[in-house]
Amino acid sequence: MYHRVLGLIFVSLCLCQAPMQAQDFKLFDRDVQIHGFASQGFVHTSDNNWLTMNTSGFGSGEFTDFGANASTQITDKFRIGAQLYDRNLGGLGRWHPTLDWALATYKFTPWFGIRGGKVKTVMGLYNDTQDLDFLHTFVLLPQSVYPTDLRDVTLAHTGGDIFGDLPVGNRFGTLSYTAYAGHRNDSPYGGFAYLVNSDGGTFNSFGGLQYGGDLRWATPLKGLLVGVSRMNEDLTLDFLIAGTDFRLNSSSDWTNQYYGQYSRKKLVVDAEYRRYWTDLGTQGVSMIEEDVRGWYVAGSYHVAKRVQVGSYFSHYWLNYPISGLLSSGTGHDYDKVITVRFDPNRFTNIKLEGHFMDGYGLPDQYPNGFYAANNPQGFKPNTNALVIKAGVHF
Amino acid sequence: MKYVQAFFAVAGWTILLGASAVAGDVKVIANPSVKVESISARELKSLYLGEKSSINGTHVEPVIERRGPAHEAFLRDYLGQTDDELQKYYEALVFTGRGSMPKTVSSDAEVVAYVAKTRGAIGYVGTGASVEGVRTLAIADSNGGERQLVTRVEPKYPLDLQKRSIGGTVRLKVFIAANGSVDHVDLLGGNPILGESAVTAVQKWKYAAANSKTTMEISVPFDPSR
Repeated sequence: MYHRVLGLIFVSLCLCQAPMQAQDFKLFDRDVQIHGFASQGFVHTSDNNWLTMNTSGFGSGEFTDFGANASTQITDKFRIGAQLYDRNLGGLGRWHPTLDWALATYKFTPWFGIRGGKVKTVMGLYNDTQDLDFLHTFVLLPQSVYPTDLRDVTLAHTGGDIFGDLPVGNRFGTLSYTAYAGHRNDSPYGGFAYLVNSDGGTFNSFGGLQYGGDLRWATPLKGLLVGVSRMNEDLTLDFLIAGTDFRLNSSSDWTNQYYGQYSRKKLVVDAEYRRYWTDLGTQGVSMIEEDVRGWYVAGSYHVAKRVQVGSYFSHYWLNYPISGLLSSGTGHDYDKVITVRFDPNRFTNIKLEGHFMDGYGLPDQYPNGFYAANNPQGFKPNTNALVIKAGVHF
Repeated sequence: MKYVQAFFAVAGWTILLGASAVAGDVKVIANPSVKVESISARELKSLYLGEKSSINGTHVEPVIERRGPAHEAFLRDYLGQTDDELQKYYEALVFTGRGSMPKTVSSDAEVVAYVAKTRGAIGYVGTGASVEGVRTLAIADSNGGERQLVTRVEPKYPLDLQKRSIGGTVRLKVFIAANGSVDHVDLLGGNPILGESAVTAVQKWKYAAANSKTTMEISVPFDPSR
């Protein structure tokens, strides 16, 4: 509890400050930049508890995160940096700080660069910035494509990227590519661990090889961006149930994502589609298959210099066809959202958001914001949510 | 509840309409260590978006203004972004480990002072700003200074000069707006009377639209025998 109070005090103090500046200092004659952010939220829901918080009574303020980074340009083409991140979202995160990213980048030319370390994964419009609340109009990005309880799954990999902007000629816009390979290792305080542990099991680990790429085209039509991302994985899920150790390996695990964004003056319209398929089993026997499909259409508009409004429709659908360990079934969550964002100054923001949800996925079988452990009374078909969040960054 | 949802949805999507515009003009300046006389609009954009970090082998450090008419004009004409979009772009780079926040100052005078003292620095200021101690760079179009001419108005040959067989070529600098219209024309060289005629005609020319404002240097010949 005292962490929450400290978080609230910190954010409140920051919000009252005059505009803050990033901190720069010299180290071995190099300029080092320090940046950071923090946010505190509150969620109240009409019926079901959401995102592992007890939201359906008075509401929950267990919705805090913060991060800080340091980076420096070593030479014209070489830079290094690292960021720490910590969050507490109901039963997720639990104030355990993580190394969010730590990487070295060498850019040979505008069309070819390499980076290595723990690297945020480029995937879709917002995968790599999904924790950076201050960059987005919405408190919660569409959960059908960017589920905050499963952020570990796609957020970063420990490995390397190649990237660049391909010269396709001025008349054809800009084509940017990223290809990567590395290792994914889920946090024991993430959504999968929470589901396994709350079902009476003991989560040991979930992770493995992850590789893929992203290709995006800033088209000649000003403001129009389209792209496609692909991720392949070779994963192992390790957990205990009633003293028995289960190690499930993926025979097939991939994600496809297609996206587009159009921005014109004060208007931004986004649309994305993601399909995730996995087949986990042991000794060649399939035990868990999941087919998760999500898409959304979102729009945001600056009604004044410091005021934005936004809305999105998020469509989530899950098919869970194999009844190896668990029962089969399908589930959905259709979420209609409206948001107002107010920025008192360049470094702070306050958001007010309404969610009107139809459905709750398959809470016993796959994490999707709704968990049976938080809803012992059972689920009601609809959930309305009021979300308030204040943030600061420098 | 359905009525409430419908109200919010309609209100939200209805409000997603509108537009605004700002006005201004800028010149691009660089530290004398940056050994170029001109830079293309595309190069300039690449430098400010962190896609490139050098010109002709010289490391370049962009400087931005926090606000003001020069800042607004630069964003509109050369980066094609609003201030909010640019800040978010930089912040996304900074918080994912892919770039740094550029040096930010508050006024034209501060930009000039910083650029003058910092090796490799490049910045922008209003056209009226004093630029002592820095180099002013010409901006060429990203297609090697060429933009497609859509409408051409031929200059009138002054009769007195034609009768006296006085001809020659005048050189002009043409400032073309993003929409293709000619903002203004400077006479760089040649007979001033022929030049005046050429300027009058070129001001009526129309070019193909582009992503940003550009400048071009052109030559207009006057042949008394034709």
